[in-house]
Amino acid sequence: MKAPAFDYVRPQSLGEAMALLAKSSGEARLLAGGQSLLALMNLRIAAPALLIDIARLPELAAAVDGVDRVILGAGITHAMIEDTRVPDPSRGLMPRAAASLAYRAIRNRGTIGGSLALADPAAEWPAVFAALDGEITVASPRGRRSLNCAGFSTGIYETQLAEDEILENVRIPKLSPGARWGYVKLARKSGEFANALAVAVADPARRFCRIVLGAANGPPIVLAAASQVLAEGRSDPDRLRGAVAADLDRAADRHFDDFQRHLNIVAAARALQQVTA
Amino acid sequence: MPNEAWGIGASLLRREDERHLHGRGEFVPDIKLPGTREVAFVRSPHAHARIRGINVPSDAARRVFTAADLPRIKPIRVETQAPGTKAPLWPPLATDKVRYVGDAIAACLAPTRAEAEDLAALVSVDYEVLDAVVAAPRDMRGSRHPVHDGWGDNLFSERVFESGDIDAAAGAADITIQREYRMNRQSGAPLEGRAVLAYRDWRLDEIVVYASTQTPHTLRVALGEFLGLDLRRLRVVAPDVGGGFGPKARLYPEEIVLAALALELDHPIRWVEDRTEHLLTAAHTRDHHYKITAYADREGRILGLDAEIIVDAGAYGLWPQGPYQEAAMAARNLPGPYAITNYRCRASTVATNKAPLGPYRGVGRPGACFAIERTIDEVARALGRDPVDVRELNMVRPEQMPFTTVGGMRFDNGDYPQSVRLCAQLLDLPELRTRQRQGESDGRLIGTGFASFAEQTAHGAAEFVARGAAIVPGFESCTARILPDGSLVLMVGIQSHGQGLETALAQIAHHELGIDPVRIAVRHGDTESTAFGFGTFASRSMVMSGGAVARASRLLRDKLCQIGAHLLQCEVTAVRCADGVVQGPQGSVTIAEIAKIAHLRMDGLPPGVDPLLDATATYEPGIGTGVFSYATHGAVVAVDAETGSVELLDYAVAEDCGTMVNPMIVEGQIRGGVVQGIGTALYEEIPYDDHGQPLAGTLADYLLPGAAELPAIKIGHLHTPAIATEYGMKGMGEGGAVAPPAAIANAVRDALAAIGAEVNETPITPRRVVAAIKKARERSPQVRP
Amino acid sequence: MTAIRLTINGTQIADDVPARLSLADYLREPRNLTGTHLGCEHGVCGACTILVDGEPVRSCLTLAVACDGCQVRTIEGFGSDPVMTALREAFHRRHGLQCGFCTPAMLITAHDLIRRGRAASETEIRLGLAGNICRCTGYTNIVAAIAEAAVAAAKGPPDAE
Ligand SMILES: Cc1cc2nc3c(=O)[nH]c(=O)nc-3n(C[C@H](O)[C@H](O)[C@H](O)COP(=O)(O)OP(=O)(O)OC[C@H]3O[C@@H](n4cnc5c(N)ncnc54)[C@H](O)[C@@H]3O)c2cc1C
Ligand code: FES
Ligand code: FES
Repeated sequence: MKAPAFDYVRPQSLGEAMALLAKSSGEARLLAGGQSLLALMNLRIAAPALLIDIARLPELAAAVDGVDRVILGAGITHAMIEDTRVPDPSRGLMPRAAASLAYRAIRNRGTIGGSLALADPAAEWPAVFAALDGEITVASPRGRRSLNCAGFSTGIYETQLAEDEILENVRIPKLSPGARWGYVKLARKSGEFANALAVAVADPARRFCRIVLGAANGPPIVLAAASQVLAEGRSDPDRLRGAVAADLDRAADRHFDDFQRHLNIVAAARALQQVTA
Repeated sequence: MPNEAWGIGASLLRREDERHLHGRGEFVPDIKLPGTREVAFVRSPHAHARIRGINVPSDAARRVFTAADLPRIKPIRVETQAPGTKAPLWPPLATDKVRYVGDAIAACLAPTRAEAEDLAALVSVDYEVLDAVVAAPRDMRGSRHPVHDGWGDNLFSERVFESGDIDAAAGAADITIQREYRMNRQSGAPLEGRAVLAYRDWRLDEIVVYASTQTPHTLRVALGEFLGLDLRRLRVVAPDVGGGFGPKARLYPEEIVLAALALELDHPIRWVEDRTEHLLTAAHTRDHHYKITAYADREGRILGLDAEIIVDAGAYGLWPQGPYQEAAMAARNLPGPYAITNYRCRASTVATNKAPLGPYRGVGRPGACFAIERTIDEVARALGRDPVDVRELNMVRPEQMPFTTVGGMRFDNGDYPQSVRLCAQLLDLPELRTRQRQGESDGRLIGTGFASFAEQTAHGAAEFVARGAAIVPGFESCTARILPDGSLVLMVGIQSHGQGLETALAQIAHHELGIDPVRIAVRHGDTESTAFGFGTFASRSMVMSGGAVARASRLLRDKLCQIGAHLLQCEVTAVRCADGVVQGPQGSVTIAEIAKIAHLRMDGLPPGVDPLLDATATYEPGIGTGVFSYATHGAVVAVDAETGSVELLDYAVAEDCGTMVNPMIVEGQIRGGVVQGIGTALYEEIPYDDHGQPLAGTLADYLLPGAAELPAIKIGHLHTPAIATEYGMKGMGEGGAVAPPAAIANAVRDALAAIGAEVNETPITPRRVVAAIKKARERSPQVRP
Repeated sequence: MTAIRLTINGTQIADDVPARLSLADYLREPRNLTGTHLGCEHGVCGACTILVDGEPVRSCLTLAVACDGCQVRTIEGFGSDPVMTALREAFHRRHGLQCGFCTPAMLITAHDLIRRGRAASETEIRLGLAGNICRCTGYTNIVAAIAEAAVAAAKGPPDAE
């Protein structure tokens, strides 16, 4: 179980990395923490000809604590968020999610950029950042663009990233002091990928309420009807469940089986309960 | 007198620890030989296919080896004396047909494993894909493309066990309980996979095979047979082995191929199994289907048991014992520790297009225990009685011992019902029942379940002959050698890979000779330095090898006393050997002094006594049918009825394994076994799809129990020394893994009692729990938790 | 081949490695530091856990080339480190190992838990061990050993490093 052969470069700047990626015509892959990519390569599921190591790029390590938002470089690791070594815009939600993700040794290297770019349906960050209404900055020699975290992933392991683009950072609005959140990860074992994942955020001061379902056989789903119930500040459990069920009916393309559907409803309802309790 | 802190019964700290704590263990992949080439295998991606051709890159001669390139290799052949069994030949590298995903086809050699894998990817095989036999119960009587050509059906063997009058029991019964149970297929998954390093030693004219195996001596026998080599030309070494648990007690194609390559090539070759290879091709285990009908009176006394067992054994039988023992052991153990008098069981072993089934801690018994213990609970529930009471009611009582069950197991001694009471005490059952009535604040449902069993251990020739075994591992051996300075080497035929036998066997020699354990070395795992033995499996090593050590030590002791008496100028009857000296009426002489005379100053020996202090002894316990450890396990679970998740809140074991040589090690074995049993109960499964594709090829899909999900395991001991063994020891290595699936399933059943749901299949996953609850609610919609 | 310089267990090393060589294989093969074990090579079992720049990482999911300029510490590199000494002693006395295959990485993970103050309770230790599989011991004794070593470390002199 060894990776196939490849070339390796470690550019010194983001610009250099972009240039390398642009001229590789799809044969290269960026290497961030390697906690997904190297596993896939060891299993010979992925076989890029060139790895461009971006793990140490200073541009991707930046963390900026702004007035109403925090900007986190793509190279920030799960462990840095877990330990709040970078500013936390989420009043504890992100550290909580980070701590439930994989194992410490993996969190020490795995990055938020890698997680978002990989778009594993069962991953935490795509759902968490979507629930926080984050925005992603992507950069290429053609320039920069900003994309909503909700909608960034377009399918299983698929995103809006173009071949020559690097995910540069995530911009996350700060929750107001009165904001509340709920986070439910249902997994068979600690550190395993989720079987169901629900993230709920209610920030009345910013008129922002959103509940997002991860582990959804595809990109995270923003549960519109349930988010509405949340916005109304209602905590009637049956109504919540009904709203989630209605949202799931609209996501027929995800082909949830009975168990997944059931688990999704339970996870969403519990996340909502945490917010409203 | 032996030192209390070192001898039998002392929790002497392990000699093995030092090297591992410093990362200085020596596992096969740690051994470096200059010029070694790494091996990667080309393996079948299909479950069942004919091989039309194998295309090897033209420049890869002598780097890619197929069956045609290694004509010396004979197909693996399992001999069995049991009537009515089929034993297919198994070519170590597939020739005409592949029969499971992972079946080896070619060996590819390169300086690194990565390059060997690159090469393997260049070998293309032309397949004609056939229908895969996947569903054992459906396909056992026949299928479109049977696994083995020329068989009319897909049956390795079928046997009916019958005792008493089951029809009369049915007629007399007040209640009848019928259930189907399923213990799914899983892997043994020691943390270290298999590994083989082989080379030719020209000076000694032999092939040296380092292997991560539990059975070096029998591996050598097999290599000799299937390569047509004199055993004098084969040496097998098992160095440190990173866990075995049964799967490493069988011969594998890769071992034969590597040894054959060593004969062909002028450099060493090494194959280190990766995790996917392990999950796909190392012996699988469990995979039992049960249909049980139990007849009971209104007290809960079981009058009869009618059963059907189907074991899905995969494509081939692993050498030496073939695929047969799983079903037979399940059938014979199904009546459990109970005095049931009427029994009928049909046990079928079915060939399918899956990896071969082999032994794994508990062999056959976890399934049998699951089936009978779940059934006992259902009998109790049907009568509104406490399962603890129904267990006790049916159990063989101490005064009935020795007792032969309807399954033909001869229990030697012990107080089985007491283990149930002790286990209930360890869990504080009354307190739990109160807590259960009050309900949990988080809405989860609490349940408690028990499971009891008796474990046949250290069985000798009689048992294996009765099984029709091809080889009869009925004894163990030890060569004990005192060196010229009085230090002692014990050379034993077992293989210690975590069981602490380097420590415990030294304790026995200390008990007999009084030599300080730090002056005793235990050598095992190397066919060159040890007398023939069978290795470590079947909970046999402590009893069998311990017995051999005791005997060899006593032979030495007699000689030491003889020489010592001569030196002390007294009668042999007047001396005794203890604390490292031979003590006479007027003085003593140390073992070191005697050793010096026996080797370096033979002029000091008494007339007629030969030099050297060297004795070899074998040992078979006094009863060939085994001595029985027994235990009751109790589990407390909290079930989240919404998510189906099961949390283990508490777990207790009340057990009796006779005399414990090293209680610390015994408890370590129990806890390790229990957690493996918990893996069977809650996590581990290798499902196959309809095309015979295995669906768990990594540890991301194949979940192993982790620390975070487990409670500390409590243990209580009972002490009934065996009569038929040295010091009263009983084997106990496997028992821990036998009862957890049953105890946990019973606990889940207890938790879900109000809903009326039961999960009769392992692992008990959230998906299965939710499905069971849904089913129960559809049956009786008015019941709400 | 790519040239790298790194520090392994305190010794500076300059070497040439193929890009695809994992840190685990680099340590085990050319460097002969075989106390780092491989149990899965896809990040789950934890047997390959070592320290890079003081933090535990999976050496099976780390490239040797990517460790240019890094400080690597394996089980062979703890010398008389007091926390490691206390852990070894406790694992021995508590029978926290059987086959020994998981042991080096268990010790390194435990060392990190104690260093980060995450070994205060049984629950915390168990969670901290979630990424290290032991197939032999059932964990009970490992957890007890770590708890004991954590207490000893808190009492004893602070970590020399
Ligand atoms: C055993 C195990 C358990 C895990 N459990 C979980 C879990 O429970 N939840 C979870 O969310 N994750 C889990 N993970 C995955 C882990 O979180 C990874 O760290 C993460 O998914 C990928 O991050 P990385 O930095 O390691 O990316 P890499 O593996 O380096 O890269 C992943 C992909 O993203 C691309 N990429 C990386 N960075 C960028 C960038 N800046 N711009 C564009 N593309 C980029 C790479 O080219 C590659 O295709 C687990 C991993 C393992 C091995
Ligand atoms: S070998 Fe690295 S985690 Fe298993
Ligand atoms: S001691 Fe064997 S895996 Fe832990």
